[in-house]
Amino acid sequence: MSGPRLKLALEHDNATRGRHVRDIVQELKRLHWVRGAMIVAADGFVIAAELPPTVAVDSLAALTATLGRELETSATRLGRPSFSTAMFSADDGTMFLAGSRIGYLVVLADQQVNVQAIRGALSDAVALIEAAWAPPGEVRPA
Amino acid sequence: MPLLRRLWRPAARHAPLTVPDALRRAEQRRREGRYAEASALVTRALELDRDNLHAHLLAAYLHVARHATAPAKAEFRWVLGHDANHARALIGLARVALEEGDGRACHDLLRRALRFYPDFPEAAALLDALRARDSPPPAAAPAPRVDRLRLPGTGRALIVGRADGGLIAAQPVTDEAKDVSEALARALRLAAAALQRCGLGPVHRAIIDDGRDAVFMRTDGDLVVSLALPRATDPPQGLLDVNRLWSATLHELGLAAATPPIAPPATPVSTPAIDPTRRVS
Repeated sequence: MSGPRLKLALEHDNATRGRHVRDIVQELKRLHWVRGAMIVAADGFVIAAELPPTVAVDSLAALTATLGRELETSATRLGRPSFSTAMFSADDGTMFLAGSRIGYLVVLADQQVNVQAIRGALSDAVALIEAAWAPPGEVRPA
Repeated sequence: MPLLRRLWRPAARHAPLTVPDALRRAEQRRREGRYAEASALVTRALELDRDNLHAHLLAAYLHVARHATAPAKAEFRWVLGHDANHARALIGLARVALEEGDGRACHDLLRRALRFYPDFPEAAALLDALRARDSPPPAAAPAPRVDRLRLPGTGRALIVGRADGGLIAAQPVTDEAKDVSEALARALRLAAAALQRCGLGPVHRAIIDDGRDAVFMRTDGDLVVSLALPRATDPPQGLLDVNRLWSATLHELGLAAATPPIAPPATPVSTPAIDPTRRVS
Protein backbone atom coordinates (compact mmCIF):
# COMPACT_ATOMS: atom_id res chain seq x y z
CA MET A 1 0.00 0.00 0.00
CA SER A 2 1.35 3.43 -0.85
CA GLY A 3 1.21 6.52 1.33
CA PRO A 4 1.83 7.13 4.98
CA ARG A 5 0.79 4.56 7.51
CA LEU A 6 -0.75 5.38 10.84
CA LYS A 7 1.72 4.77 13.61
CA LEU A 8 -0.28 3.68 16.62
CA ALA A 9 0.34 1.01 19.18
CA LEU A 10 -3.10 0.02 20.30
CA GLU A 11 -3.48 -1.56 23.67
CA HIS A 12 -6.54 -3.74 23.69
CA ASP A 13 -7.60 -2.58 27.11
CA ASN A 14 -11.18 -1.43 27.24
CA ALA A 15 -10.36 1.46 29.55
CA THR A 16 -8.08 3.07 26.99
CA ARG A 17 -10.28 2.81 23.93
CA GLY A 18 -11.57 6.34 24.27
CA ARG A 19 -8.01 7.60 24.07
CA HIS A 20 -7.29 5.33 21.10
CA VAL A 21 -10.18 6.79 19.16
CA ARG A 22 -8.82 10.26 19.73
CA ASP A 23 -5.33 9.06 18.76
CA ILE A 24 -6.64 7.67 15.49
CA VAL A 25 -8.36 10.95 14.67
CA GLN A 26 -5.26 12.95 15.58
CA GLU A 27 -3.04 10.73 13.42
CA LEU A 28 -5.36 11.21 10.46
CA LYS A 29 -5.29 14.96 10.99
CA ARG A 30 -1.49 14.96 10.88
CA LEU A 31 -1.44 13.64 7.31
CA HIS A 32 -0.31 15.97 4.57
CA TRP A 33 -3.03 18.33 3.23
CA VAL A 34 -5.55 17.09 5.82
CA ARG A 35 -7.57 19.83 7.52
CA GLY A 36 -9.47 17.71 10.00
CA ALA A 37 -10.88 14.32 10.89
CA MET A 38 -13.72 12.85 12.88
CA ILE A 39 -15.27 9.54 13.90
CA VAL A 40 -19.04 9.62 14.00
CA ALA A 41 -21.34 6.79 15.05
CA ALA A 42 -24.08 5.61 12.70
CA ASP A 43 -26.60 7.52 14.81
CA GLY A 44 -24.75 10.80 14.19
CA PHE A 45 -23.07 10.88 17.58
CA VAL A 46 -19.59 12.41 17.44
CA ILE A 47 -17.14 9.96 19.03
CA ALA A 48 -14.04 12.09 18.40
CA ALA A 49 -13.39 15.14 16.24
CA GLU A 50 -10.44 17.31 15.27
CA LEU A 51 -11.99 19.75 12.82
CA PRO A 52 -11.32 23.38 11.94
CA PRO A 53 -13.36 25.77 14.10
CA THR A 54 -15.21 27.00 11.02
CA VAL A 55 -16.86 23.61 10.57
CA ALA A 56 -20.17 23.00 12.37
CA VAL A 57 -19.36 19.60 13.83
CA ASP A 58 -22.89 18.47 14.68
CA SER A 59 -24.29 19.32 11.26
CA LEU A 60 -21.42 17.61 9.48
CA ALA A 61 -21.78 14.58 11.74
CA ALA A 62 -25.51 14.29 11.02
CA LEU A 63 -24.91 14.49 7.28
CA THR A 64 -21.92 12.17 7.10
CA ALA A 65 -23.58 9.54 9.29
CA THR A 66 -26.65 9.72 7.05
CA LEU A 67 -24.40 9.50 3.98
CA GLY A 68 -22.57 6.49 5.42
CA ARG A 69 -25.85 4.71 6.15
CA GLU A 70 -27.12 5.61 2.69
CA LEU A 71 -24.06 4.01 1.07
CA GLU A 72 -24.44 0.92 3.24
CA THR A 73 -28.17 0.43 2.77
CA SER A 74 -27.94 1.06 -0.99
CA ALA A 75 -25.22 -1.57 -1.28
CA THR A 76 -27.37 -4.03 0.68
CA ARG A 77 -30.41 -3.32 -1.52
CA LEU A 78 -28.32 -3.83 -4.66
CA GLY A 79 -26.70 -7.00 -3.32
CA ARG A 80 -23.25 -5.48 -3.40
CA PRO A 81 -20.49 -5.35 -0.78
CA SER A 82 -20.71 -2.37 1.54
CA PHE A 83 -18.53 0.61 0.71
CA SER A 84 -15.08 0.68 2.22
CA THR A 85 -14.05 4.23 1.34
CA ALA A 86 -15.71 7.09 -0.47
CA MET A 87 -14.28 10.39 -1.65
CA PHE A 88 -16.18 13.50 -2.66
CA SER A 89 -14.31 16.40 -4.17
CA ALA A 90 -15.44 20.02 -4.46
CA ASP A 91 -13.84 23.30 -5.61
CA ASP A 92 -12.24 24.05 -2.26
CA GLY A 93 -11.66 20.70 -0.66
CA THR A 94 -12.23 17.00 -0.47
CA MET A 95 -14.13 14.80 1.96
CA PHE A 96 -13.30 11.14 2.59
CA LEU A 97 -15.50 8.65 4.38
CA ALA A 98 -14.73 5.12 5.54
CA GLY A 99 -16.92 2.62 7.36
CA SER A 100 -15.72 0.89 10.52
CA ARG A 101 -17.07 -1.29 13.30
CA ILE A 102 -17.79 1.69 15.56
CA GLY A 103 -18.86 4.28 13.01
CA TYR A 104 -17.63 6.35 10.09
CA LEU A 105 -14.23 7.94 9.76
CA VAL A 106 -14.42 11.32 8.08
CA VAL A 107 -11.42 13.24 6.72
CA LEU A 108 -11.56 16.76 5.31
CA ALA A 109 -8.61 17.70 3.13
CA ASP A 110 -7.37 20.21 0.62
CA GLN A 111 -8.23 19.54 -2.98
CA GLN A 112 -4.65 18.64 -3.95
CA VAL A 113 -4.47 15.85 -1.35
CA ASN A 114 -3.01 12.51 -2.41
CA VAL A 115 -6.18 10.42 -2.74
CA GLN A 116 -4.40 7.09 -2.59
CA ALA A 117 -2.46 8.12 0.54
CA ILE A 118 -5.63 9.06 2.40
CA ARG A 119 -7.43 5.92 1.29
CA GLY A 120 -4.48 3.88 2.57
CA ALA A 121 -4.44 5.76 5.87
CA LEU A 122 -8.17 5.22 6.28
CA SER A 123 -7.77 1.49 5.63
CA ASP A 124 -5.07 1.41 8.30
CA ALA A 125 -7.30 3.27 10.74
CA VAL A 126 -10.20 0.92 10.08
CA ALA A 127 -7.88 -2.05 10.63
CA LEU A 128 -6.73 -0.58 13.94
CA ILE A 129 -10.30 -0.12 15.07
CA GLU A 130 -11.15 -3.64 13.98
CA ALA A 131 -8.19 -5.05 15.89
CA ALA A 132 -9.07 -3.18 19.05
CA TRP A 133 -12.86 -3.44 19.05
CA ALA A 134 -13.68 -6.79 17.52
CA PRO A 135 -14.41 -9.59 19.97
CA PRO A 136 -11.62 -12.20 20.05
CA GLY A 137 -11.74 -14.49 17.02
CA GLU A 138 -13.88 -12.07 15.04
CA VAL A 139 -11.23 -9.80 13.51
CA ARG A 140 -11.94 -9.19 9.83
CA PRO A 141 -9.31 -8.36 7.27
CA ALA A 142 -9.06 -4.66 6.43
CA MET B 1 -2.23 -6.53 51.95
CA PRO B 2 -3.10 -3.64 49.60
CA LEU B 3 -2.19 -5.96 46.73
CA LEU B 4 -4.54 -8.66 48.02
CA ARG B 5 -7.28 -6.12 48.48
CA ARG B 6 -6.88 -5.10 44.86
CA LEU B 7 -6.91 -8.71 43.70
CA TRP B 8 -9.99 -9.54 45.76
CA ARG B 9 -11.89 -6.43 44.93
CA PRO B 10 -15.20 -7.49 43.44
CA ALA B 11 -15.68 -6.71 39.78
CA ALA B 12 -17.47 -3.46 39.04
CA ARG B 13 -20.34 -5.29 37.38
CA HIS B 14 -21.28 -6.94 40.65
CA ALA B 15 -21.57 -3.62 42.46
CA PRO B 16 -25.14 -2.38 42.78
CA LEU B 17 -25.80 0.18 40.09
CA THR B 18 -28.12 3.13 40.30
CA VAL B 19 -29.95 4.27 37.18
CA PRO B 20 -27.87 7.46 36.83
CA ASP B 21 -24.69 5.43 37.29
CA ALA B 22 -25.71 2.91 34.67
CA LEU B 23 -26.64 5.63 32.19
CA ARG B 24 -23.47 7.59 32.84
CA ARG B 25 -21.40 4.48 32.22
CA ALA B 26 -23.47 3.64 29.17
CA GLU B 27 -22.80 7.11 27.72
CA GLN B 28 -19.11 6.62 28.40
CA ARG B 29 -19.09 3.24 26.60
CA ARG B 30 -20.98 4.81 23.72
CA ARG B 31 -18.32 7.52 23.43
CA GLU B 32 -15.77 4.72 23.10
CA GLY B 33 -17.72 2.78 20.50
CA ARG B 34 -18.39 -0.06 22.97
CA TYR B 35 -21.99 -0.47 21.96
CA ALA B 36 -22.62 -3.96 23.33
CA GLU B 37 -21.46 -2.95 26.80
CA ALA B 38 -23.40 0.31 26.62
CA SER B 39 -26.54 -1.61 25.62
CA ALA B 40 -26.14 -3.98 28.57
CA LEU B 41 -25.93 -1.00 30.93
CA VAL B 42 -29.01 0.60 29.39
CA THR B 43 -30.89 -2.67 29.74
CA ARG B 44 -29.89 -2.70 33.40
CA ALA B 45 -31.09 0.88 33.82
CA LEU B 46 -34.43 -0.02 32.23
CA GLU B 47 -34.79 -2.98 34.56
CA LEU B 48 -34.48 -0.55 37.45
CA ASP B 49 -36.64 2.18 35.91
CA ARG B 50 -38.63 0.99 32.91
CA ASP B 51 -40.06 4.44 32.18
CA ASN B 52 -36.77 6.29 32.13
CA LEU B 53 -36.90 8.51 29.06
CA HIS B 54 -33.14 9.04 28.87
CA ALA B 55 -32.57 5.29 28.95
CA HIS B 56 -35.06 4.69 26.13
CA LEU B 57 -33.45 7.43 24.03
CA LEU B 58 -30.01 5.99 24.65
CA ALA B 59 -31.33 2.53 23.76
CA ALA B 60 -32.63 3.96 20.47
CA TYR B 61 -29.27 5.54 19.66
CA LEU B 62 -27.46 2.31 20.41
CA HIS B 63 -29.80 0.35 18.16
CA VAL B 64 -29.09 2.83 15.34
CA ALA B 65 -25.36 2.60 15.99
CA ARG B 66 -25.64 -1.17 15.63
CA HIS B 67 -27.81 -0.80 12.51
CA ALA B 68 -30.90 -2.31 14.16
CA THR B 69 -33.56 -0.10 12.62
CA ALA B 70 -36.78 -1.71 13.87
CA PRO B 71 -35.97 -1.62 17.62
CA ALA B 72 -34.54 1.88 17.17
CA LYS B 73 -37.85 3.08 15.72
CA ALA B 74 -39.76 1.44 18.57
CA GLU B 75 -37.60 3.22 21.16
CA PHE B 76 -37.81 6.62 19.43
CA ARG B 77 -41.58 6.19 19.24
CA TRP B 78 -41.71 5.30 22.92
CA VAL B 79 -39.92 8.55 23.73
CA LEU B 80 -42.27 10.54 21.49
CA GLY B 81 -45.21 8.82 23.14
CA HIS B 82 -44.09 10.39 26.41
CA ASP B 83 -42.83 13.70 25.01
CA ALA B 84 -44.34 14.42 21.61
CA ASN B 85 -41.87 17.21 20.84
CA HIS B 86 -38.68 15.57 21.98
CA ALA B 87 -36.24 17.02 19.44
CA ARG B 88 -33.67 14.24 19.64
CA ALA B 89 -36.27 11.53 19.20
CA LEU B 90 -37.79 13.44 16.28
CA ILE B 91 -34.47 13.73 14.48
CA GLY B 92 -33.60 10.13 15.29
CA LEU B 93 -36.85 8.92 13.78
CA ALA B 94 -36.37 11.29 10.83
CA ARG B 95 -32.98 9.74 10.05
CA VAL B 96 -34.47 6.26 10.18
CA ALA B 97 -37.25 7.41 7.81
CA LEU B 98 -34.65 8.83 5.41
CA GLU B 99 -32.73 5.58 5.54
CA GLU B 100 -35.91 3.72 4.66
CA GLY B 101 -36.54 6.02 1.71
CA ASP B 102 -39.55 7.74 3.28
CA GLY B 103 -38.67 11.33 2.45
CA ARG B 104 -42.09 12.71 3.34
CA ALA B 105 -42.05 11.26 6.86
CA CYS B 106 -38.48 12.46 7.31
CA HIS B 107 -39.42 15.96 6.17
CA ASP B 108 -42.42 16.12 8.52
CA LEU B 109 -40.40 14.95 11.51
CA LEU B 110 -37.60 17.44 10.85
CA ARG B 111 -40.09 20.29 10.42
CA ARG B 112 -41.68 19.30 13.72
CA ALA B 113 -38.29 19.33 15.44
CA LEU B 114 -37.41 22.74 13.99
CA ARG B 115 -40.80 24.21 14.89
CA PHE B 116 -40.08 23.70 18.57
CA TYR B 117 -36.30 24.09 18.42
CA PRO B 118 -35.43 26.45 15.55
CA ASP B 119 -31.77 26.45 16.51
CA PHE B 120 -31.16 22.77 15.87
CA PRO B 121 -28.23 22.45 13.45
CA GLU B 122 -28.49 18.73 12.73
CA ALA B 123 -32.16 18.99 11.85
CA ALA B 124 -31.53 22.06 9.68
CA ALA B 125 -28.67 20.32 7.87
CA LEU B 126 -30.74 17.23 7.15
CA LEU B 127 -33.69 19.30 6.02
CA ASP B 128 -31.43 21.17 3.58
CA ALA B 129 -30.21 17.86 2.20
CA LEU B 130 -33.78 16.66 1.87
CA ARG B 131 -34.89 19.86 0.07
CA ALA B 132 -32.07 19.39 -2.42
CA ARG B 133 -33.32 15.86 -2.94
CA ASP B 134 -36.88 16.95 -3.49
CA SER B 135 -36.11 19.81 -5.88
CA PRO B 136 -37.92 19.40 -9.22
CA PRO B 137 -35.93 17.58 -11.89
CA PRO B 138 -34.53 19.59 -14.78
CA ALA B 139 -36.14 19.36 -18.19
CA ALA B 140 -35.78 15.89 -19.63
CA ALA B 141 -32.46 15.53 -21.39
CA PRO B 142 -32.22 13.64 -24.64
CA ALA B 143 -30.65 10.21 -24.32
CA PRO B 144 -27.04 10.28 -25.42
CA ARG B 145 -25.83 7.79 -27.99
CA VAL B 146 -24.16 5.63 -25.36
CA ASP B 147 -23.04 3.21 -28.01
CA ARG B 148 -20.68 5.97 -29.10
CA LEU B 149 -19.25 6.28 -25.59
CA ARG B 150 -16.44 3.80 -25.42
CA LEU B 151 -15.72 2.28 -22.01
CA PRO B 152 -12.12 1.66 -21.02
CA GLY B 153 -11.05 -1.97 -21.36
CA THR B 154 -11.38 -2.52 -17.63
CA GLY B 155 -14.65 -0.57 -17.44
CA ARG B 156 -17.49 -2.58 -15.92
CA ALA B 157 -20.41 -0.20 -16.24
CA LEU B 158 -21.27 3.31 -17.30
CA ILE B 159 -24.32 5.10 -15.97
CA VAL B 160 -25.50 8.50 -17.13
CA GLY B 161 -28.19 9.93 -14.91
CA ARG B 162 -29.75 13.11 -13.69
CA ALA B 163 -28.98 14.59 -10.28
CA ASP B 164 -32.48 13.55 -9.14
CA GLY B 165 -31.54 9.93 -9.84
CA GLY B 166 -33.38 9.56 -13.14
CA LEU B 167 -31.57 7.20 -15.48
CA ILE B 168 -30.63 8.63 -18.89
CA ALA B 169 -28.50 5.81 -20.26
CA ALA B 170 -26.49 2.81 -19.15
CA GLN B 171 -23.88 0.58 -20.63
CA PRO B 172 -24.39 -2.32 -20.41
CA VAL B 173 -28.15 -2.15 -19.89
CA THR B 174 -29.14 -4.03 -16.76
CA ASP B 175 -32.25 -4.27 -14.62
CA GLU B 176 -30.47 -2.65 -11.71
CA ALA B 177 -29.09 0.38 -13.63
CA LYS B 178 -32.07 2.53 -12.56
CA ASP B 179 -31.60 1.58 -8.90
CA VAL B 180 -27.87 2.25 -9.11
CA SER B 181 -28.49 5.64 -10.69
CA GLU B 182 -30.90 6.57 -7.89
CA ALA B 183 -28.55 5.32 -5.19
CA LEU B 184 -25.59 7.26 -6.58
CA ALA B 185 -27.69 10.40 -6.84
CA ARG B 186 -28.87 10.08 -3.23
CA ALA B 187 -25.29 9.69 -2.02
CA LEU B 188 -24.13 12.65 -4.10
CA ARG B 189 -26.89 14.86 -2.72
CA LEU B 190 -25.95 14.06 0.88
CA ALA B 191 -22.25 14.53 0.12
CA ALA B 192 -23.00 17.84 -1.60
CA ALA B 193 -24.90 19.01 1.47
CA ALA B 194 -21.98 18.01 3.72
CA LEU B 195 -19.42 19.75 1.51
CA GLN B 196 -21.55 22.88 1.35
CA ARG B 197 -21.86 22.89 5.15
CA CYS B 198 -18.06 22.85 5.34
CA GLY B 199 -17.86 25.74 2.89
CA LEU B 200 -16.06 23.65 0.29
CA GLY B 201 -18.40 24.38 -2.60
CA PRO B 202 -20.41 22.09 -4.84
CA VAL B 203 -19.34 18.49 -5.37
CA HIS B 204 -17.75 17.73 -8.76
CA ARG B 205 -16.10 14.33 -8.45
CA ALA B 206 -16.47 11.24 -6.34
CA ILE B 207 -15.00 7.80 -5.94
CA ILE B 208 -16.92 5.11 -4.08
CA ASP B 209 -14.94 1.96 -3.41
CA ASP B 210 -16.84 -1.14 -2.30
CA GLY B 211 -14.00 -3.62 -2.16
CA ARG B 212 -14.87 -5.04 -5.56
CA ASP B 213 -15.30 -2.02 -7.82
CA ALA B 214 -14.40 1.62 -7.60
CA VAL B 215 -17.12 3.86 -9.01
CA PHE B 216 -15.70 7.11 -10.40
CA MET B 217 -18.21 9.92 -10.76
CA ARG B 218 -18.38 13.35 -12.30
CA THR B 219 -21.27 15.77 -11.81
CA ASP B 220 -22.19 19.39 -12.36
CA GLY B 221 -25.25 19.34 -10.12
CA ASP B 222 -27.59 18.43 -12.99
CA LEU B 223 -25.96 15.50 -14.70
CA VAL B 224 -24.11 12.53 -13.17
CA VAL B 225 -21.74 10.30 -15.13
CA SER B 226 -20.42 7.27 -13.25
CA LEU B 227 -17.97 4.67 -14.40
CA ALA B 228 -17.33 1.43 -12.50
CA LEU B 229 -13.76 0.21 -12.74
CA PRO B 230 -11.86 -2.48 -10.85
CA ARG B 231 -10.99 -1.45 -7.33
CA ALA B 232 -7.26 -1.56 -8.09
CA THR B 233 -7.58 1.26 -10.63
CA ASP B 234 -5.25 4.12 -9.87
CA PRO B 235 -7.46 7.11 -8.83
CA PRO B 236 -5.93 9.60 -11.32
CA GLN B 237 -6.43 7.04 -14.09
CA GLY B 238 -10.07 6.45 -13.15
CA LEU B 239 -10.75 10.17 -12.86
CA LEU B 240 -9.16 10.70 -16.27
CA ASP B 241 -11.41 8.03 -17.78
CA VAL B 242 -14.57 9.46 -16.24
CA ASN B 243 -13.57 12.96 -17.37
CA ARG B 244 -13.26 11.69 -20.93
CA LEU B 245 -16.69 10.07 -20.74
CA TRP B 246 -18.10 13.22 -19.15
CA SER B 247 -16.94 15.35 -22.08
CA ALA B 248 -18.23 12.82 -24.57
CA THR B 249 -21.61 12.63 -22.79
CA LEU B 250 -21.98 16.43 -22.80
CA HIS B 251 -21.23 16.42 -26.49
CA GLU B 252 -23.79 13.68 -27.15
CA LEU B 253 -26.37 15.62 -25.18
CA GLY B 254 -25.59 18.74 -27.17
CA LEU B 255 -24.40 20.55 -24.06
CA ALA B 256 -20.79 21.05 -25.13
CA ALA B 257 -20.59 21.85 -28.80
CA ALA B 258 -16.89 22.66 -28.72
CA THR B 259 -15.83 19.37 -27.13
CA PRO B 260 -14.34 16.73 -29.40
CA PRO B 261 -17.05 14.14 -30.00
CA ILE B 262 -15.21 11.09 -28.72
CA ALA B 263 -11.88 11.46 -27.01
CA PRO B 264 -9.77 8.32 -26.99
CA PRO B 265 -9.97 6.42 -23.70
CA ALA B 266 -7.05 6.58 -21.33
CA THR B 267 -7.01 2.79 -21.25
CA PRO B 268 -7.79 0.31 -24.06
CA VAL B 269 -11.46 0.13 -25.00
CA SER B 270 -13.73 -2.85 -24.61
CA THR B 271 -14.62 -4.71 -27.75
CA PRO B 272 -18.29 -4.35 -28.71
CA ALA B 273 -18.67 -8.13 -28.85
CA ILE B 274 -17.78 -8.46 -25.18
CA ASP B 275 -19.62 -5.39 -24.00
CA PRO B 276 -22.91 -5.00 -25.85
CA THR B 277 -24.52 -1.60 -25.50
CA ARG B 278 -28.02 -0.28 -25.94
CA ARG B 279 -29.86 2.93 -25.28
CA VAL B 280 -32.26 2.64 -22.41
CA SER B 281 -34.16 5.87 -22.70
